[in-house]
Amino acid sequence: MKVEGEYIFNGPRAEVWDLVRDPEVLATALPGTKSLNQISANQYEGEMNVRVGPVAGVFAGRVVVSDEVCPESYTLTVEGKGAPGFAKGTGRVHLIAQDDGTTLMKYEGEVQIGGKIASVGQRLLDTVSKSMIRQGLEALNKALEARVARSKGQEVECQPPSEAEFAAAVAKDMAGQLLSSSWVLWIALAVVVIIVAAIWLSRGGG
Amino acid sequence: MNDLFAVSVTVNGTRYERTVEPRLLLSDFLRHELGLTGTHVGCEHGVCGACTVLFDGEPVRSCLMFAVQANGHEITTVEALGTPENLHPLQEAFWEAHAVQCGFCTPGFLMSLVPFLEENPNPTEEEIREAISGNLCRCTGYQHIVDAVKLAAEKLRK
Amino acid sequence: MAQKYVGQRLTRTEDPRLLTGQAMFVDDVQIPGMLHAAFLRSEYTHARLKRIDVSAARNRPGVVAVYTAADMGDTWRPGPPLVSPPPTIKDIVFHSRTQVPLVKDKVRLAGEPLAVVIAESRYIAEDALDDIVVELDPLEAVVDLEKALEPDAPRVHDDLDSNLACHLIQKKGDYAAAREKADLVIKRRIVIDRGTAAAMENRGIVVYWDAKSQQLTVWDTTQAPIPIRNGLAGMFGLSPSQVRVIAPFVGGGFGPKIMMFYPEEMVLTWATLQLGRPIKWIEDRRENFYATNQERGQVHYAELALTRDGHILGLRDDFIHDTGAYDPYGLTVPINTQCHAMGPYRIPNYYSDLKVVFTNRPIVSPLRGAGRPQGVYVIERLLDIAAKELGMDPVEIRKRNLLPPDVFPYDNQIIDQAFVPLVYDSGNYLPILEKAAEMIGYEKFVKEEQPRLRAEGRHVGIGIVCFIETTGIGPYEGARVTVEPSGKISVATGVGTQGQGHFTSFAQIAADQLGVNPRDVNVVTGDTSQFHWGTGTFASRGAVVAGNAIHAAASTVRAKVLKLASKVLETPEEELELADGMVRVADIPEKCISLGELAVLANPLRGAVEPGTEPGLEATAYFGPKYGATASGAHAMILEVDPETMMVEIKRYILVEDCGTVINPLIVEGQLHGGVALGIANSYYEQLMYDENGQLLNASFADYLVPTASEVPRVEITHLETRSPLNPLGNKGVGEGGCIPVPCLFAQALEDALADYGIEILETPLSPNKLFDLLSGKRNK
Repeated sequence: MKVEGEYIFNGPRAEVWDLVRDPEVLATALPGTKSLNQISANQYEGEMNVRVGPVAGVFAGRVVVSDEVCPESYTLTVEGKGAPGFAKGTGRVHLIAQDDGTTLMKYEGEVQIGGKIASVGQRLLDTVSKSMIRQGLEALNKALEARVARSKGQEVECQPPSEAEFAAAVAKDMAGQLLSSSWVLWIALAVVVIIVAAIWLSRGGG
Repeated sequence: MNDLFAVSVTVNGTRYERTVEPRLLLSDFLRHELGLTGTHVGCEHGVCGACTVLFDGEPVRSCLMFAVQANGHEITTVEALGTPENLHPLQEAFWEAHAVQCGFCTPGFLMSLVPFLEENPNPTEEEIREAISGNLCRCTGYQHIVDAVKLAAEKLRK
Repeated sequence: MAQKYVGQRLTRTEDPRLLTGQAMFVDDVQIPGMLHAAFLRSEYTHARLKRIDVSAARNRPGVVAVYTAADMGDTWRPGPPLVSPPPTIKDIVFHSRTQVPLVKDKVRLAGEPLAVVIAESRYIAEDALDDIVVELDPLEAVVDLEKALEPDAPRVHDDLDSNLACHLIQKKGDYAAAREKADLVIKRRIVIDRGTAAAMENRGIVVYWDAKSQQLTVWDTTQAPIPIRNGLAGMFGLSPSQVRVIAPFVGGGFGPKIMMFYPEEMVLTWATLQLGRPIKWIEDRRENFYATNQERGQVHYAELALTRDGHILGLRDDFIHDTGAYDPYGLTVPINTQCHAMGPYRIPNYYSDLKVVFTNRPIVSPLRGAGRPQGVYVIERLLDIAAKELGMDPVEIRKRNLLPPDVFPYDNQIIDQAFVPLVYDSGNYLPILEKAAEMIGYEKFVKEEQPRLRAEGRHVGIGIVCFIETTGIGPYEGARVTVEPSGKISVATGVGTQGQGHFTSFAQIAADQLGVNPRDVNVVTGDTSQFHWGTGTFASRGAVVAGNAIHAAASTVRAKVLKLASKVLETPEEELELADGMVRVADIPEKCISLGELAVLANPLRGAVEPGTEPGLEATAYFGPKYGATASGAHAMILEVDPETMMVEIKRYILVEDCGTVINPLIVEGQLHGGVALGIANSYYEQLMYDENGQLLNASFADYLVPTASEVPRVEITHLETRSPLNPLGNKGVGEGGCIPVPCLFAQALEDALADYGIEILETPLSPNKLFDLLSGKRNK
């Protein structure tokens, strides 16, 4: 299934690129990542805790980065599986410098989700994944703003969300938006996969 | 998972002391530890209602509870309602109205309805349908169950 | 003899045990030393199995054994085909591919078992599933029925040239010629999607090989214990007499509990033979969504040719039927569709082109309705569309085409699921339709109420449809009836029971012959140690085929009773009567003897008997009809829909049914109510949602919406009776009739309610979302 979406970062492209290559920042942006190991120049393996409604467990996955064009774009291929099911996706991420100094992230890709997480968690996947993406991107953006400020000599407090805060925010989002169409869900899921991939990638790379 | 917990549960008036794994479901405890197989398990995720029992008088899904949560509490299962020779008025009404087909969901319906009829001794059809909307039945189309509840209400009022 | 109990609204004998939690279901079986099984199932729909490592699972404390296909050695083989295509049809293409016990090389559906863990508890067995390491190489899945036949589609079975499982054309008359003469030809694409039976009890099995007694005992939630016994005996080299299969109380069957074999039945029987210990496996609800057969998926390209006055000249239906990954149940479902597309109408020319396809989805086998609802949906929808085109009333177009009462037996000339030509044994269709129209107040509603409500801005619609149901097919069932020394009657028959009330209606049949109270008749079903000839409970046949076997056996016992009593009472048989458990001399009631005393006399312990004497008052008899009995009916409904919320309320539901002699109206009504509820589910609530990779997206009752008491309306029923000439009781089956015409009825009423939107409904199940899309022009049209 084709998926696509976008997000605006409040900072210049080079900074965003560095940010998505910074494992410390990325790991804290999306709690749950247990491990990530680089197994070759562009391949990584890792584990991540995932919880979607009644379905929870560890996903073990592999990420492959390809077609990297610094600082414009890269392709991620992700395969993960575990007790909750499996996910398999390919996504292309573009970073586009905007005239106002911000950076537009565009992503598009294909994803397959299967097993328990698809069959039982289906109704919750949508809101969980949307919430995870929103929070993940917002946390990244905050980190970016802090970096930009630091580079200007300002000291800004930037506290990444804890796993508990993250979970609470997901729950709040779920209560708020229980209805939405299924294609949104797929897009959201694809983005989760891409972000997870990005985290693994940068951690291993760092 | 190997840590065991001592539980003391009163089921149908009898006190049981057992040592169980914390993950043991209340439904499995009742059925397999105590041999009270009248409580049935239909979905294991709290939707079908077949496993409904009374927990201190309130209907609960025993597939959504752990046995350890019942420690110190009182459970009532279908076995306590009546015997084949001496049916409870609600069971009699189910019999007379042909509210039972395969009978798998029946104990859950009965256990949901006992407290309902205590609270609402003269329910309308709409109230009955609402009261049983948390229990699934695949055989009857519910019509005879609704009739049975009306009949039971009459019997219980007498 | 005056009938006393057949026809009475007798409450059920089996209920007190069910109501008090005293009835035994498979999961209630407890045997000392019993182990528990859990299956590792593929989450991929289509994949190659590269490697499976169960060593860690074997080492987990509490695990007794872990088996894969490799462990089964030569015993590993695909299940036998349960139903063959009709041998009476020529020029049929059919590729038999049956399910395997455990995946050896290739996964063909999500949920297919890869390994089984047998452990001291189910909890440990499930823990150990996580220890198994599996490498699966996913393949592109075949999900869409029509794409399955495209030349470059991936193949479910590598050894076949395509995913075509069967190609079968059946015809009557000359459709092409009829089409030439037609004033109007309606052609539509109609899609019917999958649902699941969702019996409240999942499947389950307890198997126990006792090496000392050399006996295999199997408690199984099957609808067909005798074929299971014979099949397991054959598969494992045992004598059938060494195998006892018991289907105790079964928590709903609805079709999918008849299968030979499910992988679990093969694997666990093999496992108990290895371990010599009893093993229990109870399916969980999520497994049930994958590992239990499903039904309904078909795509039709159907065409109806008519005259301008609404007479049908011919019907052509080219359709694709999804059989899932395997086709062990042959062509029963799609042949039923072929048979029922002609409905109760005179259709002189018919051409039905069936293509069955393999897909990477669960196996398809009959589910209450079993192909009939699809056929009925096609013809009823086409008639509705034709009526609109012709400016005719939908009731009127049906009246013009109904078969008249003088045509029976009516030969529809194509082969049915019982391998014999489809012959309607008897019927009287017009009064059924008229009765339904009268009960729902058709004329008044259309002329007065609907215009008034529409003027108020309300969207109310009416529907009325007709259908037939082929029932009571062969080959045969049997029964043994015995008068016990206590004077009570015991009846044993081979069919299994899943809530149909057999213990009561069968008792009523025997009671009438023997002059006893049905409460004194103890009926045993579904235990091969009690009766071991027969086939099973399916195709709305239990009451017809087993019922008439019981009638026959009880009649023979009655003759034996009279013969013996005549001797004992020194009175000619003609002057004797059976009542209240006694044989009496008609005009000297004090001159009598009880059945129990006669039973004792019939089984002497000493002395000589006449040569050729059979002991006891007992008889075994069989019944096999020439062909199936055809029941019929009409359903009508009034519904209201809110085009803002898409919420539908069924205001009234009318059902007129002719199933011949009614043995127990209370039970028949219960069957009909349950059928209607399933039909409503198939119309607007339940649909298995698969994504394009074949992943099931709603495998729980939280997402797969089984209707509750809030969605199912009250059903008003009238019975009309046209006896079947095919059996002495004159009855026809009724188990599936309730669900068959509901989706097309719902579609008709919904279209009528939304007449101002001009929508055409060509698919089922619908849902609020789909209706929204239809109304906003986003769907077909």
